[in-house]
Amino acid sequence: MVFLMWLRGLLLRRTGRIAAASAGLALAVALPAALGMFQSAAQQSMTARAIQRVPVDWQVEQQPGAQLKGPLPGVSRQVDFASVAGLQSQANGQTLTTGGARALGIPADYAATFPGQLRLLAGTPTGPLLAQQTAANLHAVPGTVVTVHRPPLPDAQVTITGVVELPTADSLFQKVGAPAGAQPSAPPDNVLLLPAADWHRLFDALPADQVRTQFHLRIDHRLPADPAAAYTRVAGAARNLEVGLAGAGLVGDNLGAALDAARQDARYAELLFLFLGTPGIVLAVLVTALVARSGQVRRAAEQALLRARGATRTTFVRLALAETLLIAVIGAPVGLALAAVTGLTVYSSARLTGPALAATALTLLVSCAVVLLPALRPVAAARRRETPAWSRYGLDLWLIAGSLLVFWITSKTGYQLVLVPEGVPQLSVDYWAFAAPALLWAGASLLILRLARLLLGPGRPLVARLVRPLAAGLSPAVAATLARQRGALGRTATMAALAVAFAVSTSVFDATYQQQAQVDAQLTNGGDVTIGQTTATEKQLAAVPGIAAAEPLRHGFAYVGADLQDLYGVRPSTIVGATRLQDGYFSGGTAQEIIGRLASSPDALLVSQETVTDFQLRLGDQVRLRTTDGKTVAFHYAGVVTEFPTAPRDSFLVANASYLAAQAAPGDTTYLISTDGTAPHVVADRLLARFGPSAKVSDVESVRRVIGSSLTSVDLDGLTAIELAYALGLAVAATGLLLVLGFTERRRTYALTQVLGASARQLASFIWAEVALVGVLAIAAGAGAGWALARMLVLVLSGVFDPPPSSAAVPWAYLGQVIALGAAALLGAGLLAIRAARRPPLTVLRDL
Amino acid sequence: MSPLVSCQDVARTYGRGASAVVAVHGVTCALRQGDRVALMGPSGSGKTTLLHLLAGLDRPTAGTIAWPGLDERPRGQVGVIFQGPSLLPPLDVAENVALPLLIAGCAEGEARRRALAALAAVGVEGLAAQLPEELSGGQAQRVAVARVLAGSPRLIIADEPTGQLDSARAHQVVDLLTEVAGRLDAALLVATHDPVVAGRLPTHWEMRDGALREDVPWSS
Amino acid sequence: MEAIAVTADELYRFYRAGDEETRALRGVTLEVAAGEIVAVTGPSGSGKSTLLTLLAGLDEPDGGTVWITGRRMSHRPPAEQAALRAGKVGMLVQNGNLIEHLTVAQNVDLAQRLAGQVSRKRRNGLLFELGLSGRAGAWPSSLSGGEAARAGLAVALANRPALLLADEPTGELDAHSETPVLALIRDQAQTGTAVVIASHSPAVRRFADRVVELADGRVR
Ligand SMILES: Nc1ncnc2c1ncn2[C@@H]1O[C@H](COP(=O)(O)OP(=O)(O)OP(=O)(O)O)[C@@H](O)[C@H]1O
Ligand SMILES: Nc1ncnc2c1ncn2[C@@H]1O[C@H](COP(=O)(O)OP(=O)(O)OP(=O)(O)O)[C@@H](O)[C@H]1O
Ligand SMILES: [Mg+2]
Ligand SMILES: [Mg+2]
Repeated sequence: MVFLMWLRGLLLRRTGRIAAASAGLALAVALPAALGMFQSAAQQSMTARAIQRVPVDWQVEQQPGAQLKGPLPGVSRQVDFASVAGLQSQANGQTLTTGGARALGIPADYAATFPGQLRLLAGTPTGPLLAQQTAANLHAVPGTVVTVHRPPLPDAQVTITGVVELPTADSLFQKVGAPAGAQPSAPPDNVLLLPAADWHRLFDALPADQVRTQFHLRIDHRLPADPAAAYTRVAGAARNLEVGLAGAGLVGDNLGAALDAARQDARYAELLFLFLGTPGIVLAVLVTALVARSGQVRRAAEQALLRARGATRTTFVRLALAETLLIAVIGAPVGLALAAVTGLTVYSSARLTGPALAATALTLLVSCAVVLLPALRPVAAARRRETPAWSRYGLDLWLIAGSLLVFWITSKTGYQLVLVPEGVPQLSVDYWAFAAPALLWAGASLLILRLARLLLGPGRPLVARLVRPLAAGLSPAVAATLARQRGALGRTATMAALAVAFAVSTSVFDATYQQQAQVDAQLTNGGDVTIGQTTATEKQLAAVPGIAAAEPLRHGFAYVGADLQDLYGVRPSTIVGATRLQDGYFSGGTAQEIIGRLASSPDALLVSQETVTDFQLRLGDQVRLRTTDGKTVAFHYAGVVTEFPTAPRDSFLVANASYLAAQAAPGDTTYLISTDGTAPHVVADRLLARFGPSAKVSDVESVRRVIGSSLTSVDLDGLTAIELAYALGLAVAATGLLLVLGFTERRRTYALTQVLGASARQLASFIWAEVALVGVLAIAAGAGAGWALARMLVLVLSGVFDPPPSSAAVPWAYLGQVIALGAAALLGAGLLAIRAARRPPLTVLRDL
Repeated sequence: MSPLVSCQDVARTYGRGASAVVAVHGVTCALRQGDRVALMGPSGSGKTTLLHLLAGLDRPTAGTIAWPGLDERPRGQVGVIFQGPSLLPPLDVAENVALPLLIAGCAEGEARRRALAALAAVGVEGLAAQLPEELSGGQAQRVAVARVLAGSPRLIIADEPTGQLDSARAHQVVDLLTEVAGRLDAALLVATHDPVVAGRLPTHWEMRDGALREDVPWSS
Repeated sequence: MEAIAVTADELYRFYRAGDEETRALRGVTLEVAAGEIVAVTGPSGSGKSTLLTLLAGLDEPDGGTVWITGRRMSHRPPAEQAALRAGKVGMLVQNGNLIEHLTVAQNVDLAQRLAGQVSRKRRNGLLFELGLSGRAGAWPSSLSGGEAARAGLAVALANRPALLLADEPTGELDAHSETPVLALIRDQAQTGTAVVIASHSPAVRRFADRVVELADGRVR
């Protein structure tokens, strides 16, 4: 067959070209496949994490007067709740009493059935247990006898056998069946857990309105990997169960709520896949296109010959298809293997599903198309070409202007990139946001191409001057050679610049993301390590090895009007430096300025914006707070605080710790600890060992791992690793591979130059001039475009960041690597070309 | 007077084993200043191969070649006109002709002036701004001749310089080459199959199956 | 009257490069009967190659029409041109007739396949008559100038064309190798093939049935 003959010839005689095109195609296919693996691995881990975070999937509450009948799905345990008037204990001759409390009756295997629901802090779990806070209030330890006030019944007594923590108190004590969007009710302050038999003995006789019965369920965890799909399944099943119960019970869907949060993260992960992945894939395809385009001169000659022999377009198409097929057959498996290796090393899974598979297939198709195209209609190289139409009409400038316009419009209207209405299965994504970066990419590419062409065309005298140090007397000839090659060279330089831009924008985005994740963790945890509920003093703490400083933070509660808010007391002289307060946490001034107001007036108070609006506060207004023990303390409103270490997301107050102490406002002190560089978890372990199990110690590393529901924890590491690795690969391919192919095409020129008597140095000047041109354009234009893109990405994707960054972070080390590798690729290409050019020129001359 | 180039028992074999082609073998010859040699011989007899060896563009597989009369680096001092197309595709005609002058260190303006003069000498001055791909076969061949004329080679080696020229042009080109060789006191070696062209040169060598016979008596 | 194989009617072809215009053909009219051998001569740059390119339908004339065996070649859809060319025309261009990644024999095969008339016997016959039997498996880059020219002719004749267009087929050939080439062309003509040869060679001039002389793009 003609095709077999043709292909065999190509494989035998054009091995380099076929190999290079296959490599380009492999890269183009590998990227979406690897990203797709990230995508499905990320989704899977999000679903898994959501499932893991929820010890009790559903809480089915029996409605008053009804009796739950029939089997419940999955594993279920009955839990009874009773409201009691208070608990009381005797300690050191003192009687301690709590306010209203909740008593739960749980089966003996409850803790084992729902691991994570109870955490035993002291004693044994077999008998009556107290929640940590309640035990503290009652000064109770295992063995303490606690009296339960249970009007209208007489008091009863139980002997405590252990103290537990209830990590999921919020959902455990939720109001099942509350309408979506309702204020979550705060968990009770005092909790007593009793073995089921004890509970029934104590509370069966209570009036019906003081008791409720729930069934806690763990359902089948074989759920779809995608959190959105899992959410739909779980929420549907919950509703289904409710319908089946016919009003006898309502379902509190904890798992659904967790998946609901996860699907938003998943959508963001998908967006990141699109925003960061698409340019990379497009670039890889473009590299393939350019690689396939190389060898155009020879291809044009071949086609002219085929035409002379009567070949029709169909013949060209068939031959081109055969060649493309050959390249695809070599390149695609290599690409998929590359992706599989990436997947296996980064997330130890090489699963490729649904949309990612489609994306990979699409990329393969497009890559084949771009390989096919130049094989179909080659263009002779050294033609005097007209200015391309896009350049005449200034398409590049229009695209950039359009990008800025879209960006301005979208950011002005304060759009939300991802909108997840609570409880509704549909998510809406504002795809307009893509337009701005996409237009910027396109515009920047064309602009760089225009600059390169300008430099090589009208800028030829300038180029001649610039290459003079390299080429000396030959500079006019070198400049002319470069100028006549401006199409191909311009494309190579643009490609290299885009690869650099891709690396810069991706890495800046990623570094900023990491920076904010750290900030978020710091904000949540307060310091590198935080210790609370301890009697340790600042001095004692400072003596622990690994600790650089311990900053006291007083915490209590106070009523603003009817609203109970967290009240923090700080030491203004040290707090800013010790906890790295960011300017973004305050409004109306820098962190230093606002905290400075606390320092200058003892009764100053910082409040949240919401409070300012609610109470129409103006600077200097007096604010009276009622403490939890009923005292009233006067403050002056001195500024607005939006975020604060360890503070909740909504309203809270910040004041001087010394003033609070002087006014005897209730509260206890937490210490925010900065380490001296020792790993936070090491310091945390030391603190626990030294100050006992009752102290509450947390470190920033574990917090960063734990705050799973927040967007910052979308596991970007994998995505980033792939992106950065491929960015490097692209940079090398764009600089090295394309240059080498270009040099191969100009072998003839070099061979002839050598025949005409050029010295090795003179010959090298042709090559180095080209290398320098591509290198300088790539770095200058690429860095500029990359920076602009990174800024835009950070702003467009600001929803991903929490808190929003005040400045972008630049990963100099990685960028240094990119530059170094790119430079090495350029150097390598140059040296390779020089070595090839030094071969006896005859072999080359004969071969054309 | 030492020869410009001399070779001793030179052979050139392409490939290895069964498919090896012995293009040139056992050739011993020398060229001195003032030599004007026409190299004839059937197609495939090894003329081009020998010319490339003498120009230092290829290395022999056996025997030795030396350029005692030239500086250590022969390439710049040997003007070569190739059998096939040999212009640099990205440079226009004038730039192509000026290139060897620039390589030799000539100033840009001077190089251009001499290039245009050489183009005029072969009758293609009107094509100075054309690109090689826009030339006819004969025009390209004359530009290649002009490129040698513009430089100042000590040894001129021309491989079928008139293959695509009509006889009037062919005579003109050979006469030009002879004249330039005389002016530069250089040696001239022309491979040709055209007896008329060969007839204008005083000495005749003949290749047959890779072997060289010098001083063949001329019979037209 | 013998059948007319090719008719060129008032052909014009201007090349534009920048603001310069080269008038390569200015109204050339030519008719060649089946079995007739016409030599197109003229000084270099007079438009010979351009004329052959137009006759083969590889380029469109700016004015005038080309007819091949009574069918119009110029100004029609490329696919029809290609079909006509594959079946009726054999073309030997001035430089580079062979596809580099195919061997000599494969190049001939390719031409036969494109014309839809595969014949191993004819291929081997052609290569033998042109003295290329020993080089059938060689890559084009390893051929001597004359061998490449002959291989090009073998490819051009592979499809038993009704019209053979040969651009300088003997430019690289010595008298000894020229003879079999011309003999082969004569044999071909005797089977009814019309032949148009662009050449400077006096031998070709003598060999042709008729000589058409071009000067400055016109028939003299
Ligand atoms: N692509 C082109 N662009 C511009 N001018 C061209 C182009 N091709 C040919 N020419 C010009 O057209 C004229 C005729 O060229 P053509 O190749 O037909 O000449 P020719 O008679 O075949 O010459 P030769 O005997 O040297 O091969 C020449 O002046 C040539 O420079
Ligand atoms: N690279 C190569 N590999 C294999 N064989 C080669 C190579 N180059 C040349 N030959 C063979 O060497 C022999 C001599 O070739 P050369 O080009 O020197 O001949 P020539 O005398 O110049 O012929 P012509 O007059 O046809 O140009 C030929 O048979 C040719 O096929
Ligand atoms: Mg030769
Ligand atoms: Mg011609």
